[in-house]
Amino acid sequence: MRRLFFLAMAGYVGAMLVSCQKREAKPVIAVAFDTLQTEYWVASIDALRSEIESRGAEMIQAVADNDANRQLEQVQGFIARRVEGIIIAPKDARAVLPMIKAANKAGIPVVLYNRPPAEDVGTSVTVVADNFEITRATVSYMCEQARAAGGGHKAMILIGDLGDVNAIGRRDGFDAAVKEHAGAIEVVARVPTEWNQEKALAGVTNALQEHPDISFIFTSSDFLLPSIVSALRGAGKYRKAGEAGHVLLGGFDGDATAYQMLVDGYLDADGVQNVYYECAQAVQAVFDLRAGKPVPPIIRDPGLVIHRGNLDEAKAQMWGANVRPR
Amino acid sequence: MARRSAGAGSAARREAGAHRVPRRSAVEWFRRALASENIVLLLAFAFFAAALPFAPELASPDNLQSLFLSVLPLLAITLGQTIVLITGGIDLSLTSTMALSSVAGASIMTRESGPFAGSWAVPGGLCAMLLVGAAVGLLNGLGVTLLGMPPFIVTLATMMTVSGLAIWSTHSASIAGLPAAFVAIGSGTVGPIPAPVLVVIPLALAVHLLLSRTLIGQWMYAVGHSSRVALVSGVPVRRVTVAAYVAGGLCATVAAALYTARLETGMPTLGRELLLDVIGAAVVGGTSLFGGRGKVTGTLFGVVLFAVVARTLDLCGLQHYTIMMVKGSIILLAAALDLARRRVTGGF
Repeated sequence: MRRLFFLAMAGYVGAMLVSCQKREAKPVIAVAFDTLQTEYWVASIDALRSEIESRGAEMIQAVADNDANRQLEQVQGFIARRVEGIIIAPKDARAVLPMIKAANKAGIPVVLYNRPPAEDVGTSVTVVADNFEITRATVSYMCEQARAAGGGHKAMILIGDLGDVNAIGRRDGFDAAVKEHAGAIEVVARVPTEWNQEKALAGVTNALQEHPDISFIFTSSDFLLPSIVSALRGAGKYRKAGEAGHVLLGGFDGDATAYQMLVDGYLDADGVQNVYYECAQAVQAVFDLRAGKPVPPIIRDPGLVIHRGNLDEAKAQMWGANVRPR
Repeated sequence: MARRSAGAGSAARREAGAHRVPRRSAVEWFRRALASENIVLLLAFAFFAAALPFAPELASPDNLQSLFLSVLPLLAITLGQTIVLITGGIDLSLTSTMALSSVAGASIMTRESGPFAGSWAVPGGLCAMLLVGAAVGLLNGLGVTLLGMPPFIVTLATMMTVSGLAIWSTHSASIAGLPAAFVAIGSGTVGPIPAPVLVVIPLALAVHLLLSRTLIGQWMYAVGHSSRVALVSGVPVRRVTVAAYVAGGLCATVAAALYTARLETGMPTLGRELLLDVIGAAVVGGTSLFGGRGKVTGTLFGVVLFAVVARTLDLCGLQHYTIMMVKGSIILLAAALDLARRRVTGGF
């Protein structure tokens, strides 16, 4: 029985290795992601693969699972393999600097996806959504809705992992919008989630018990929406817009859950990063850098605020409208 | 007559044995391979060789050098975990100790004024890092010995507290602009030898000597086997336990220095996802989760296996989900082989 187990395990590992396809003579573009924890990153890596393969190249990928050092090692591995270009979704804006230097030293084009470097240390191109600005615009829209409904709303924000520059940008964008719309809302709860759904659920549940009059919630990422829905249902406060007791709800990302909630009338606004635009720009930048063409150091995704008022015309830019909800 | 028939019987056995030679030698070879303490290293080489036809770049000098250098900081922190595991404990706070050391050292090294500015920046920063490692280790050791609480709970609490402290003290921001002399520890060379080698190899030798050649090393194994028996035998169990946690903290600090220097950044989230690799590499390398067993060579082999598997799979062009499944399977296979080895050699 034990021998059978060993043989089965060895066979399985062998089969997996055999599935390492022998590469054809295609240019290889390496993609080093920080995480695939949320739908956004999965949609991004799928879009990158599609873009790369549509240009006749092959994509290899590595995911660092939120570990900057692991990401550095993965990029060093790609450099040792002499890939044609590297797209990095960095864990950290400063920790990515040695990766840029190493890629530059090896003469390999490097593009940063979703997170810019902290400083200019060499040649790189960044494709990024403006987290601060998109959040500020989204929360401003929500504040206007709150003011139209009479103002004085008690508000809650779900904050992401404060070791993540995107979470910080979104928190700061929220605070800026609140400051601009003083009187429309009063922030009574700030829930640290560390990008964890269970912590979000516990935090929102506790906040709703402590402040039962909360009527305005913004989450720094759409992947936390199911936790909010669960907590609101538990508190008997999950109602559609227009119904008495509706809690103004907003998010960031543009995922499938957010899209469905917008369609169903439970979500009021969502800050959307245009994944397709960003991925197409990132891959184009790699090919342009390889060809020696000039590329601007930063390519910005303007993003958009999507709400029920513009849903029909804007949904084509919302990546979550094109994937199946969980 | 009896002698004759005995002689005839043995001749018959020899003859029969001659026919079974190939089978015996194959079984014997397998048994010897299984009984070898190097089984984990053999598995790493086997995996590397099997992947080579699919990713020939694995054998390139650049890749081998980069792979070798990636092993070193992980080895440093895993040595710390090995020491603690040998005493029957576990330290979940090692990675958060790394994070706090990283930001403590980086914040001192980037100050523009004060006693540690200028030429004292690097020595001051390194001392601060070592102090943090020793202090957290001491806290864990005292928590385990004086409060009598399970190491898992004590170090879990420390992990959360220390991690929170690292993030709070930096307002979540990483610290860049480290002095070039410090960055060289992670990526520089001394003559032809990479600087990290000059840090980690002496550390590994020191831990090896500590465990195999010193009285306190023997006491650590004794405490891990049975702290009660060790106490009755006159072993200062509390002091040995505290020393193990302090040593673990110091090893984490060495890893923190290397990781921080390589990234050129002090990070409050440094190594946050590394804990399972650290425990996994130690255990796959033959260190017992129940104490009393473990060696530096085994830990080295466990770390090499983890690094080889990770690098090989990354360069193979597999999808992330497949990589995770293969990695998990290989670790399970390594642990199962180690278990089989102990049964073959009567290690239990």
